[in-house]
Amino acid sequence: MVEYKTTHLYDWHKKHASAMHEFAGYMMPIRYSGINEEHLAVRHAVGIFDVTHMGRFHFRGERAAEFANYMTTNDVGRLNENAAQYTLICNEKGGIIDDCIVYYRASDWIYIVVNAGNKVKDLAWFKKHAPKFGVTVEDVSDQVPNFAVQGPKAEATLQKLTDIDLSAPKFFSAISGKLAGYDVIMGRTGYTGEDGFEISQFSVPLDKPDDAVDLWHKILEAGEEFGIKPCGLGARDTLRLEAALPLHGNDITEEITPLEARLRTWVKFKSQGDFIGRAALEKQKEEGVPRYRIGLLMPGRRAPRPHNKLIIDDEVVGEVTSGTLSPVCQRGIGLGYVKREYKDVEEIFVDIRGTLEKAKALKPSSKVMLTKIKELEVR
Amino acid sequence: MMKVGDYEVKEGVYYTKKHEWARVSDDVVLVGITDYAQQALGEITFIDIRGDAGPVNVGDTLKRGDKYAEVESHKAVEDVFTPIGGIILEINESLQDAPNTINDDPYGAGWILKIKAEDIDSQLKELLDADAYAEVLKSEAE
Repeated sequence: MVEYKTTHLYDWHKKHASAMHEFAGYMMPIRYSGINEEHLAVRHAVGIFDVTHMGRFHFRGERAAEFANYMTTNDVGRLNENAAQYTLICNEKGGIIDDCIVYYRASDWIYIVVNAGNKVKDLAWFKKHAPKFGVTVEDVSDQVPNFAVQGPKAEATLQKLTDIDLSAPKFFSAISGKLAGYDVIMGRTGYTGEDGFEISQFSVPLDKPDDAVDLWHKILEAGEEFGIKPCGLGARDTLRLEAALPLHGNDITEEITPLEARLRTWVKFKSQGDFIGRAALEKQKEEGVPRYRIGLLMPGRRAPRPHNKLIIDDEVVGEVTSGTLSPVCQRGIGLGYVKREYKDVEEIFVDIRGTLEKAKALKPSSKVMLTKIKELEVR
Repeated sequence: MMKVGDYEVKEGVYYTKKHEWARVSDDVVLVGITDYAQQALGEITFIDIRGDAGPVNVGDTLKRGDKYAEVESHKAVEDVFTPIGGIILEINESLQDAPNTINDDPYGAGWILKIKAEDIDSQLKELLDADAYAEVLKSEAE
């Protein structure tokens, strides 16, 4: 019997999911009613995801914010208790160890959310550097249920459960308060390309999961009039791909820098002081970035897949890193990398198991890729 | 229809251990993938009628065990092999626009090829009946 970890919602998932699978050591729902249906619920109304398998740490100590700033590429100095930020954790070579969300709670308290698959590695990396700052790193992943409520009706759904005015906070706001009577921090953040909230519920022990299950049910009830759907990791992946959001392990790795991944916006060379990877990234900025991430849109349903070669004029110029079928436009979509001279190319061939398919190459941003995909929506 | 766990097994149909089925009337055979196969894949997003040597067309001859399609889901691509050899009479073109028909009705509207079989009797001896296939599913569950 293979051992795996579970979240507070495990019994609920077991009852309602049509497929579950081990992911990053956790037994997680892949789909409930189906990837397409869940995906379209998020695009047109609202969906809820259990993402409690993500890694959540507190940095505590007088220099906690300074420590977070040193460990990440974005500028923690721009944050206050009402704001969160997307940021990257780099190694000395500028390679991406992980991407994450940082919440500033106070100058001596940072809350950080990292990828499930990198939790152990990240924790070790933080603990290695924390003593220099006199900071402690506490792993609270299993005591903090984490739900993402995503879609154009996410705000209306959650508004029914709180007195906080949710119309005011902008994208990447951090909101602290009560939701359905429970203490939460909500980031107006997500991994879908839609408006939405990521909710951390403090604190619910794994062996007494009732409060987490109750909050999950209350959100489902609140969203019922909008057609809320519980969504699994399958739809999470198709949603993020339509929005060109990179997945660590596929589209960004320790061998790829934020400049190559075109995540330059979240590297603050000017306002940031020293951070791990800074010197290497500045050097790359000077010398030139060897490759760039691009988005791919196929003419038909055949999807690009990781490691498919990207070809221009019979020359291999790069490789696909992620791909699937877009539930919105019913075409293959993907992300990949090309040599720098092809950064702005508009057409490229993908070698899919021996046949060349002509793809549109797009800038890998939600604004460009998801907008294009929505224009092509098949209803 | 009988059920093994979550999986439907249709009686009167022949099967392979690789979760393909063949439905025979005289020497004309419909082939497809089983309920187990479609559930394992998840929602089917695309089917490409393609063998090792490229696209497969009506009039082509397949040998039993030849790859004749690639079935894609959001996350995976699987090769599909024919349980019966013969000449292809028809390809289910409706699957191009609605590949998830295979999910909805794997043994019915989700058929993939219609084949005129050669020496059908000796070929069927190599296949499993519904009871034998149910045993395969039971052993996979263990």
